[in-house]
Amino acid sequence: MTTEYAYYPGCSLHTSAKEFDISTRVVLDALGVHLHEIEDWSCCGGSVAAGLSHDVGMALAARNVVLAQQQKRDLLASCSGCYNKSAKAAQALDDPQEGPKIAATLSDMGLSVGEESVRVRNVVDVLWNDIDIASKITNPLHGLRVASYYGCLLTRPQDITGWDSPVHPVSLDRLTEICGATPVDFRSKAKCCGGPILVSQKKVAFELTKNILDEARERRADCIVLACPLCANNLELRQADIEEAYQETYNMPVLYITELVGLAMGLSPRKLGLYKHVVSPKPVVEKIKQGAKLV
Amino acid sequence: MKRKKCFFGLKVDRQVDGDRMNKGVMAKILAEGGNAAAISACMQCGTCSGGCTNIDRMDLSPRKLILMLQRGDWETVLKSNTLWLCSSCYICTSRCPRGVRPSDVIEAAKAIAIAEGIENDATRFHNIFVDLVQKRGILFEPELMQRYGGLKAMVEQAPLGIQLVLKGKLSPLPESVKNPAQFHDALEKHKRTRTHNPDLS
Repeated sequence: MTTEYAYYPGCSLHTSAKEFDISTRVVLDALGVHLHEIEDWSCCGGSVAAGLSHDVGMALAARNVVLAQQQKRDLLASCSGCYNKSAKAAQALDDPQEGPKIAATLSDMGLSVGEESVRVRNVVDVLWNDIDIASKITNPLHGLRVASYYGCLLTRPQDITGWDSPVHPVSLDRLTEICGATPVDFRSKAKCCGGPILVSQKKVAFELTKNILDEARERRADCIVLACPLCANNLELRQADIEEAYQETYNMPVLYITELVGLAMGLSPRKLGLYKHVVSPKPVVEKIKQGAKLV
Repeated sequence: MKRKKCFFGLKVDRQVDGDRMNKGVMAKILAEGGNAAAISACMQCGTCSGGCTNIDRMDLSPRKLILMLQRGDWETVLKSNTLWLCSSCYICTSRCPRGVRPSDVIEAAKAIAIAEGIENDATRFHNIFVDLVQKRGILFEPELMQRYGGLKAMVEQAPLGIQLVLKGKLSPLPESVKNPAQFHDALEKHKRTRTHNPDLS
């Protein structure tokens, strides 16, 4: 079965979350899903743009949806933020009040909104609901304890996402289980890491992120698994800053779900971009090797 | 205000007095937030505040913020730190039994506050972020840090920046859409099409 998507990487996947981009492509390719990167995509505006002007935020996100329409393919985004904003824009495009306003801005950019609306999907949704990955697992991750962290925009609000529970999501835990790893009971799984307010309210964001790291450590998780580059920015790239601010040591690897699935499919860590992480995922790779020996 | 008890033990600070409702403020939020603002449906149950990520740091809880908007007390909303502490995590919106969508209401209130000229770290960040996205269509984070935090931030972030460069995750050159001028002008034209009339409040 081949499935094709218009792939929207977004700003982060070209920079700080490159391994998410790499692993998404590699894993989906191995699963027979073909991605066609949207040509000339732009920033979705994130959680910030609409807080300055609703119209600008909507137009930014809708631009990529319309580019996907031109490809006549459903849009697939890996980044939770890009996915959420694009899905919101796709809904707004169909709205009789909002649609024409967005269309006006887009027509000034030389784009016309198509007749056929497209669906906006997230890679977690596709992996969980569309593909039978269980049959592709050749290297089950026995003994690996995984804290699945969903954050906010992957599953909320439910009228935009709709494929997992907004407050008690399970998709990442199930995928972890399918990969042979052990999902830990993680109460912080859908709590906010403070990503959008990191820059202007650093202290608050650090505190929120620290709570998540604390619980992951308490639950003896070997790594945190997520699908949001902004969460990873807080949990991984700022981990050293948080360790310094609170005099703690975490050394908590943070992996994207596509990397975990890729490892379980027997793809090499190098091919999945694992070496690009700032907090070394080496302990995870070692533990997987050990687990494989035991079985 | 003297706290008076009314029927069924409801405190007066949870009441919406029909005479004191100000439709103007609600209309403003509705104009900015699109479909978001079902403010008048709020029954002050407080579920939004109960789940809120940053409630203990806010001086006006999401529930009260909605009440103030129902009453038309825009000044109180504008002065509160709630607008800038909200991390748009949508917990309130997911839980609200009345479909009020407090996250979207706060987002709209932010936009109106910024248009009215409120200035703080958060508004500065919003302005710089959107400015940079408008300029090239794709965000270039080093520039964002430099514009927001100046040289100090650049020095602070240098160790992380170097790591990212070494791992091939940070290009020294920004990416851009194919036609940045047209992209920029289209957004600029539609940025302020809605009239934010301060007299309404």
